[in-house]
Parts: sequence; structure tokens; C-alpha cells
Amino acid sequence: MRRKKVCLVGYGSTEYSRKSEASVLWYYAEAIRNALRQTGLHKKDVRGLSITTQVSTDYSPHVAEQLGLEVDWVLNGDYGGAGGVMSIRRAADAIECGHLDLIVLVGGNSFDRSIPQQRPLEYQRANYVDVYGYGGPNTLMALIQRLHMAQYGTTLEQIGKIAMAQRENALNNPQALFREPMSYQDYLNSRMISDPIRLFDCVMPCSGAECVILASEEKARQITDKLVYLVTDAEISHYQVANMLPDKTTFGMKVVGDRIFTEVKREDIDLFEIYDDYPIAVMIQIEDLGYCKKGEGGKFVESHDLTYRGDFPVNTGGGELSVGQAGLAGGFLHIVEALRQLRSEAEGHQVKKAERALVTGIGWLNYGHNLGTTAALVLERRK
Amino acid sequence: MAEPSLPKKSLPKINKVDEPYWRGAASGKLLLQKCKACGKLQFFPRIVCMDCFSGDIEWLPAAGTGKIHTFSWVRVPRNPAFKEDVPICYINVILDEGVIMESRLVGKGMENVKLGDRVKVAFQETHDPSMKLPVFELVA
Repeated sequence: MRRKKVCLVGYGSTEYSRKSEASVLWYYAEAIRNALRQTGLHKKDVRGLSITTQVSTDYSPHVAEQLGLEVDWVLNGDYGGAGGVMSIRRAADAIECGHLDLIVLVGGNSFDRSIPQQRPLEYQRANYVDVYGYGGPNTLMALIQRLHMAQYGTTLEQIGKIAMAQRENALNNPQALFREPMSYQDYLNSRMISDPIRLFDCVMPCSGAECVILASEEKARQITDKLVYLVTDAEISHYQVANMLPDKTTFGMKVVGDRIFTEVKREDIDLFEIYDDYPIAVMIQIEDLGYCKKGEGGKFVESHDLTYRGDFPVNTGGGELSVGQAGLAGGFLHIVEALRQLRSEAEGHQVKKAERALVTGIGWLNYGHNLGTTAALVLERRK
Repeated sequence: MAEPSLPKKSLPKINKVDEPYWRGAASGKLLLQKCKACGKLQFFPRIVCMDCFSGDIEWLPAAGTGKIHTFSWVRVPRNPAFKEDVPICYINVILDEGVIMESRLVGKGMENVKLGDRVKVAFQETHDPSMKLPVFELVA
């Protein structure tokens, strides 16, 4: 499906911290404040709010109340790492329907100890996974990576190249928690976490928030002359769920990609903000999106420059792997980075030709399968 | 003030759907669900058939044999109570009935495990005497 008149008019980020115990509401407020400042909007202009987090005990209307927002539309975008893209889809629907002309979306995380941080595990995890001493998502992605390596001959050099390229992209990004160069030896020698997943395959959990503002085209023209349009978007949850012998190395992103690329051409995308909880997940998404055949992701990353200067720029600000993963703000980080690029505001890591960006989001790892939620959208800068 | 209690190894929170499965495991049986309407086998236990949505589901004893589909050596378990066991060999097994089961490899020769190796189920005691966990061992 093609969107017509929905724009992303601004964004706001906070600092990322590995120590701060500020509340998630503080982070929300900070990110929203920064987005309002950028757009020249005021609190009273915010009549729609979407929140995404793992660490709030409050329902979305209560969060709106605590932020002092009287709203015509409110959403809890609880779609895991796909929360950014999938919330934007819901918000775009509401704007296209004419329910309202502006929505603020925010995702965040905090280490606030006064709030229970850990939700109880889901049924499948609690009863059939955690009882065996698994290591969280690190283990579940390790199962997929081992299979990809065995079935297709994918090497650690190829997987590590993604982490290294993203680190290079992060060197000039002040938001990134990791700004020291990473060599292949650094990658290879990093501590084993859940074999074959190493420490440098993993994201650093941190606190922080990201905010984006969506508006109708008409409203957008009043706010900014940097018009970034939502062109097309798609999602699928629980791909292959009824298949008891699923293909673990193919994500729902294959279906999402098929839908996205009926509307835009693959070769027309200038930059790729691909949800990167692990480098292997980036490689598999590149395959699923059809930039190479299944199993040839290793060769593909070998033969392309994935840095912001390269021919296939991926996670141009460093991605979650180098910036850090502020919980479910992780799903917004890629959208915000795409906006920076398309608005030519990515100082120090600006892609030269940045007119069209693909952003993906993926969430959870399902029992015996792979991703629970997969979603993507395309953004386009127009004069 | 009471000492904070040490974490215990995780055990399932048995519910109405999977109670027969865990009762089976405690008595040394590995049970799968079979849809009486369409014949589909499925694991883990659900309230409906994953294919036809029928709620008419029976329990079928599995042979308890299969092969290693993929595995990971866990060095950092989510629940710290499992630290004493690391590295833990977390596995996906393709049961001979044609469903994937996630579990743990134990016993002789596990350090040399590779994809495709044949395995058979075993039932591991837990800190709850009424509950056993289906795990797998390599077939010699």
C-alpha cells in the first residue's frame, strides 16, 4: 500500500546512559521536548501520543495524563523491537483517516529501580525455554546464526564485517556509547556469550528515549520545509507460526519486503536502517529484502561497503550495536537516524545522496521459529 | 531482616493447557498435542490447533527420539541460578514426529555435539520433586 499524505516532521533524542536511573517518563519528556523544540511546536499541539517501552507499569492513557496531555488519540505500541515502525503505521492510518493531523511517538527505557523492571516472561519462554537455562535473546539468535553458518557457509568474518562497519559509522556520532574503532580481531576475541554469539554481536542495554512526530502533509507544510514523506510500509507477525518445522533462517521480513517493493524499487533506496539487535539479523534481513539470494548475505556484505560512505550504507549512525539499545527506543533509533540523513542533519556521518531510506523493525524470538514481529517502511525526502 | 533468597532454577508455571504435558513428563512420558479434527501434531502445548483452530486436541506419546537441528553453548544464562551449569548446551531438536522442541543436551559426549546428531529424551529431576524436565542425550 502506498501512503499519500503523511509526513515525518521532526524528531528528538536524549543522551544514552548506562548508569542513569532517571525514570522512563523523564526520558519521554526530554525526547518530546527536544522534538517540539526542533519543530517549533508546543505542548498544546500534541493531541496524539504513542508510547513504547518495557519498563512502565502504566497504561498509555495514564502516561499521557502524567505528561499533562489531553489527547484525541493514544496508543501503546507494544510490538517489541518493531514498535517504532508498527506504531508509525497505526499513527499514519489515523492521520490518513483524518482523526487528527499530528501525532507524537516516543519509545524509551530506564534503569529506574523504583519500578519493577522485568515483566514476567511470556508463557512460551517461561514454561519451555527459561527452564533449560537459556541466555535470553542471545541464545535464541545464536541458534539461528549457527544454522545460517552451517547451511550457507556464512563466516564469522562476514558477520563481523557488519559490526565493524557500523562501528565506523558511529565514530562521529556523539550519541553513540561506543566510539572506538573495532577491528576484526576485536570482534573475534570478544567474550563468548552464547556460542556462536559473542559480546560484540550484542547490544549494550542503556537508558534513553527517541521521539518522532508524524503529521498530515498539510500540517507538515506549516511546520517545516524539510518534507519527509512516509511512502509505503508493511508488517507481518508470527510468520510460519503454524509450521512446526519452520525455516529458521528466513524472517517475516521476506513477506514485508515483497509488499514494500511492489511500491518502490529496491535500487531506489539510498540508505538502510536495518534493525540490528545482532549482525546476523542484519544479514538475514538483507537477504529477506531481496538484495541477494537466501544464504548469500555473507558474500553480499563482503562485496559491499556498508559504511555511510559506501555503496550500501547500513545503520549509518552506528545502529543499536554501537549507539546502544535503550530498550524499545531501539525500534525508533533507526527511524530517527533515517530522518537525520534525509534532512541532511547527520553531521560527520552524512550519506551523500540521501533521498530515500528503508527502515526495518523486528521483535521477539518465537519458540522454535524466529522473529515474532517484522515490519518496514520507506521514507522519502521531497522538495 | 530476612536474607534475600538466592534465585532458584526456573520451573514452568503450569497452566490449564499444559498441565497434562507436565504430568506426563513427571511420569517419564513425552507428550505432543494432536488435533483430532485435522491430525496436525504440535509443540509446545496450545489451546487450539495451530492449523485448523479446532479446540479438540488429544495428547500423543512421542517416541522421544530425534536429531539436533541447531544448538548454542550458553555462557551467560538469563537466570543466574543456572550459572553453576555453564556452559549449557541449549538445543533445538527435530523430533521424529516432525516438530521442533527446544531443550537442553546432557550426558556423555555432549562436548562434541554437531548438527544432525541423533538424540533421545531423558527426564531430569528438578528442585520440585513433583516435576521433571524433558532433556536429551546423544544416542551412542
